[in-house]
Amino acid sequence: MNKVTQENVRELLRRYMEGESTQAEQKMLREYFDGEQDLPDDLAPFAQIFAIIDEATPTPSVEALDRFASPTEGKRKRFLIWPFIAAACIAAFACILLAPPQQKEESMAIAYVDGKMLNNEVQAMQMGQEALQEIFSNGNHEQQLSELFNEP
Amino acid sequence: MKRLLIILLMFAGITLCATAQEGLRINEVFEGHVVSKQLIQESLVKGDNLAPYNLKVLHTAKCTANAKERITIEQLFAEDMKGRISDDDSNLEMESRDGHLYYAIVQLKNNARGTHRYICYQCRDRSSHYDITLVYMEGKASLADLRKTFKKK
Repeated sequence: MNKVTQENVRELLRRYMEGESTQAEQKMLREYFDGEQDLPDDLAPFAQIFAIIDEATPTPSVEALDRFASPTEGKRKRFLIWPFIAAACIAAFACILLAPPQQKEESMAIAYVDGKMLNNEVQAMQMGQEALQEIFSNGNHEQQLSELFNEP
Repeated sequence: MKRLLIILLMFAGITLCATAQEGLRINEVFEGHVVSKQLIQESLVKGDNLAPYNLKVLHTAKCTANAKERITIEQLFAEDMKGRISDDDSNLEMESRDGHLYYAIVQLKNNARGTHRYICYQCRDRSSHYDITLVYMEGKASLADLRKTFKKK
C-alpha cells in the first residue's frame, strides 16, 4: 500500500471540503489523522475534526449489521401475527357460545299420544305440567295417603 | 392460511361439542327402545312456553311397563343418576320401596353453558303393571323453585 504523503492529504482534504471525496478517500484521511502524530501546523486542526467525527458516528458492530441484514426478520413478524389471529378466533367463538340462548333456541311444544304426534301446544304443556306436579308432590304425605286409599 | 383453517376447524368442533345435548341413558326410553313408542305418552316443550317456570326444555314420558321393563328403566335411570351434583337434599330427592325406586328427582351436573339439568322418575305399582313417569328438564330454575311451583299443597 502506498504511503500517503502530506501533499496527498492536502489534495484529499481539498476534495473533502469540496464534497467530492469518496468513502475510500475519507477512510484514508481518517486513518492518516488517527495514526500520524507529527503533523504540520496547517494539518493539525483537521486531526481534531476527524477525531470528533469518528466519536460522533460510531461504526455499528458486525453482529448488529448481521441482525439488520438477516432475512429471518420478515418471518418473525409473520409469526407474531398468529397469536392475535388465534385470540380473535377464540373471541368470535366465545361470542357465539355466550350469545343469549333465546335468540338461538327455537320454541316448540309437541305431544305424542298413542304413537301419534300432536302439534298441540296446550296439550303438550298440560301433559308436562301434570307429570311435574305428580312427581314433585311425592314428598306430600297427605297426597300419598289419598292416592293409596283411592286406588282401585 | 392453512394454520388459520386448522384453528377455525378446531373451534368449530369445540362449539358443536359444547352445544350438543349430553347423552343420557334414559333417552332409550324416550326413543321407544324399552317400551313401544305406541304405549308412551310423551310431551316435549322448548322455549317461550316454559319462560314462566324459568325452564328451557321439558321432556316428559308416561308409560305402562311390565316388571322386566320397569327394571330396565330403573337401571337406566340409576346410570344417569351417577352424573348427579351431590347427595345433598338440595340436589337430590328420592324414595325406595320394596327394593325398587319409587320416585326420584335428581339435579345433574350443569351443561357446558351453565344451565341446570334435572331428571325425574316415578313408578306406581298397579298390581298387574307399573305406571312409570320420566322427566328431563333444563333451565335456570333451581330445584327449590321447581318444588315451589309444582308441589301440590
